Amino acid sequence: MVKAVRGVLIECEPAIKSILVHIDSTHHHEFIIEDLDETHLFVKEAMLHILKQKLEERLKETYRPEEPLEDSD
Amino acid sequence: MPPKRKAPGGQANAAKAGRVSAMSTPGPATPRSLDSSVMSEADEDFDEDVSEAQREREAMLSKEADEFVNKFTIGSRRMQGQTDDKEVRRFDSATPFFRKRDFSHLPLKPDHQNRPLWIDPYECTVVLERFHPLAEQATDFLITIAEPKSRPTFLHEYALTPHSLYAAVSVGLRPKDIINTLERFLKTALPDMVRTKIEEYTRSFGKVKLVLKHNKYYVETMDAQVLQTLLKDEEIGKLRVHGSDKVTTSHAPTLGGLVIPGTQNAAGVHQANLKQAGMKPGEAADASNEADLFTALNEEDDDDDKEAVHAFEISDADVEAVQKRCLDIGYPILEEYDFRNDDVNPNLEIDLRPNTQIRPYQEKSLSKMFGNGRAKSGIIVLPCGAGKTLVGITAACTIKKGVIVLCTSSMSVVQWRQEFLKWSNINPDDIAIFTAESKNKFSGSTGIIVTTYSMVTNSRERSHDSKKMMDFLRGREWGLMLLDEVHVVPADMFRRVISSIKSHSKLGLTATLLREDDKINHLNFLIGPKLYEANWMELSQQGHIAKVQCAEVWCPMPTEFYDEYLRANSRMKRTLYAMNPRKFQACQYLINYHEARGDKIIVFSDELYSLKQYALKLKKVFIYGGTSQAERMQVLENFQHNPEVNTLFLSKIGDTSLDLPEATCLIQISSHFGSRRQEAQRLGRILRAKRRNDEGFNAFFYSLVSKDTQEMYYSSKRQAFLVDQGYAFKVITQLANLEKTPDLAFGTPQECRELLQRTLVDNERGAEDDVETDDLFGKVSRRAGGNGGGGRKGNGVRRTAGMLSELAGGQDMAYIEQNKAANKALKAAAGRKKGGAGPGEQSKFFKGIQREKEKSRARAG
Repeated sequence: MVKAVRGVLIECEPAIKSILVHIDSTHHHEFIIEDLDETHLFVKEAMLHILKQKLEERLKETYRPEEPLEDSD
Repeated sequence: MPPKRKAPGGQANAAKAGRVSAMSTPGPATPRSLDSSVMSEADEDFDEDVSEAQREREAMLSKEADEFVNKFTIGSRRMQGQTDDKEVRRFDSATPFFRKRDFSHLPLKPDHQNRPLWIDPYECTVVLERFHPLAEQATDFLITIAEPKSRPTFLHEYALTPHSLYAAVSVGLRPKDIINTLERFLKTALPDMVRTKIEEYTRSFGKVKLVLKHNKYYVETMDAQVLQTLLKDEEIGKLRVHGSDKVTTSHAPTLGGLVIPGTQNAAGVHQANLKQAGMKPGEAADASNEADLFTALNEEDDDDDKEAVHAFEISDADVEAVQKRCLDIGYPILEEYDFRNDDVNPNLEIDLRPNTQIRPYQEKSLSKMFGNGRAKSGIIVLPCGAGKTLVGITAACTIKKGVIVLCTSSMSVVQWRQEFLKWSNINPDDIAIFTAESKNKFSGSTGIIVTTYSMVTNSRERSHDSKKMMDFLRGREWGLMLLDEVHVVPADMFRRVISSIKSHSKLGLTATLLREDDKINHLNFLIGPKLYEANWMELSQQGHIAKVQCAEVWCPMPTEFYDEYLRANSRMKRTLYAMNPRKFQACQYLINYHEARGDKIIVFSDELYSLKQYALKLKKVFIYGGTSQAERMQVLENFQHNPEVNTLFLSKIGDTSLDLPEATCLIQISSHFGSRRQEAQRLGRILRAKRRNDEGFNAFFYSLVSKDTQEMYYSSKRQAFLVDQGYAFKVITQLANLEKTPDLAFGTPQECRELLQRTLVDNERGAEDDVETDDLFGKVSRRAGGNGGGGRKGNGVRRTAGMLSELAGGQDMAYIEQNKAANKALKAAAGRKKGGAGPGEQSKFFKGIQREKEKSRARAG
């Protein structure tokens, strides 16, 4: 029995792909259908919106990390 | 309004279209979508993009066209400074863009084009047009009264702060002078808000001075009223020394016959043998500081009113109480040292060598310190490599009393002593070193002691010798305390230093008066105000410090690394982005490239693990906290003189005070979060490059950054200080021909994976290897030991999983063999003990010999 899932092809930089895969793995693999290659992913269409949101959050973290105040030497 | 606006608006566009084309390419950050918003939204960014020539061209544009423009774009009127006084427009379509920064209500003076300053009344920020003919004078003035915030090429921003005004008062400017001069330079009338602020800040500052005269403390003031307030104050009144009930009144001091050695004026004095004390007041000042605007003002003061000074005596013990009380009642005390009238402390035979000429900016900074013939305490800020040491030495030569020099590491202790011997004629017996290794005293009645902060503040158990030495230091009165790299010292440590060692004046020296924790303000009260801050760009244009090309190299992370990075904890993240193989390759490439050019390269890494890995893989020498003193010396010597050794890897112990004039290129592979200070200090390592006067010579500063990681964010933060000093960072996203580098490290994915695995395993196992404190404080005993190396191992027991063969060294022997390769090669070449033994494994006998050698070297040096 063939089961069809509607998906979207995502093309991105390897770094972004890594982040996406990481998000996927921390969310019970509910986003990615198939990991195609370095720069391509096939994800569930229904989850695309949420994935985008999660990615935004992650990127914010990357560029605004909390900074330990260790400069008191 | 709208229809009216439309027609001339169109003309304005036309007029401007021509100008836009004449402008250089705008910065990427400058929004240029709409004509009027271009002028308003970010007008400061905008101004910086326009070159001087273009600006003049703009100013030359026909008045008619400008009037149209000016009527309808306030921003442009602000920028161009066209007369349009009658029509002060409060509101128009552009107003919202300014938000709070709409200052169009400030009336422009009719001749505002001849004046170089703008002011923001709310923030008390002054913007200087650097291309203005009067800019030089205005700069001199602003440096005295305000703190430089940002100094790129064309527009400089200064902030008026309580501290800066305090500093201004302490060098002898009066509120009246400040306001008048500001008024003269400003394009608009001085806003009342600023006027009151200046008056408020300066009213009480500097009114009361604490003077050590004939070894008694006097509280001095020029204002009889203030004196009465103080005497009537219940606390201070009590503390006044009885029996000296009368209030002495004398004349205000002037620069008088004081000559700062090394200046042209000093040379003249020597020749004419005019050293008598009775030189006319103001004469010396006249000659040496002609360019100095503020002294000019001072002289006027001297001429018209010889002000009376009222003073009363307080006893030594009560100084701190009085100081505190005065601060409470709003009269902070200024400390001054009348060293020429100090007969109690013996004079020190010291003078600059006759051939020593100090540079104009050094002279300027010192003239602020000795502005009125007395020594003021304060901080002088000069870029690294601009001769801070010489400033300190000249100050010592001017005061000619006992001097205590505090520096950050025992390495710089040695350097300071050498510099003293190099620049001055001091008897080598009169200058002693107080470190863990040597505890000499000077032979005569007075002299110079060079020591470290940690030596004098160490409260732990100390050896008999150092205890005796400390008592000696405490028991004396010092003329001058020189505080090197003053920004690194925590405030409480300072209090300890200052309370335990009595000195008449304190001079702090630093390149970066800046801390991420904002504790820098404490220094203003502990040492004194900032007396002088040099402009980096100006010094590099004059050739005093090297011209530096700054670049940020973006290195992408290979996917495996990035995957791991995402999963790792923050500590491992830092290791991973430092160990990025692409970064490694970039580093290798840059080293190859610059070695081929004949550059001497320093590579900085905060991450010990990566420091070692890089150095081992590339077979270069390295120094980190655990390197023994002897090995350090050897490596540094080789780096300086051996043409085979062109690259040196340094951990953060090399950030400050390390004097390596040979280095011309700097690569940074990992760094301390967003520390602006570290960035600036590291840059400072190459500013003193010896070859800087060669034609077309540039020093290079590369910061390697792993893409898509936190490093990107930190990196932009770190650069803020240097950007404010006028440096521009180039971003390099790809290094040309990188893949053609011979023996490129980690060229294959296989190797990358191996590196990743090794990094992960090593760091899980040997995390404690990475614990590196700053060398300055806390690790005294180890550094002091001279034969360190083993010091850390003894620190405690740890339990790790491992194999038996590991204990026997069978596990990673090959790796260890490589480990010391570069450093050891040097050792072998130096004819030292051959074979494998590192310093930690040496027998006692050899250690002894090594220590002897080191000592004799220190003595000879």
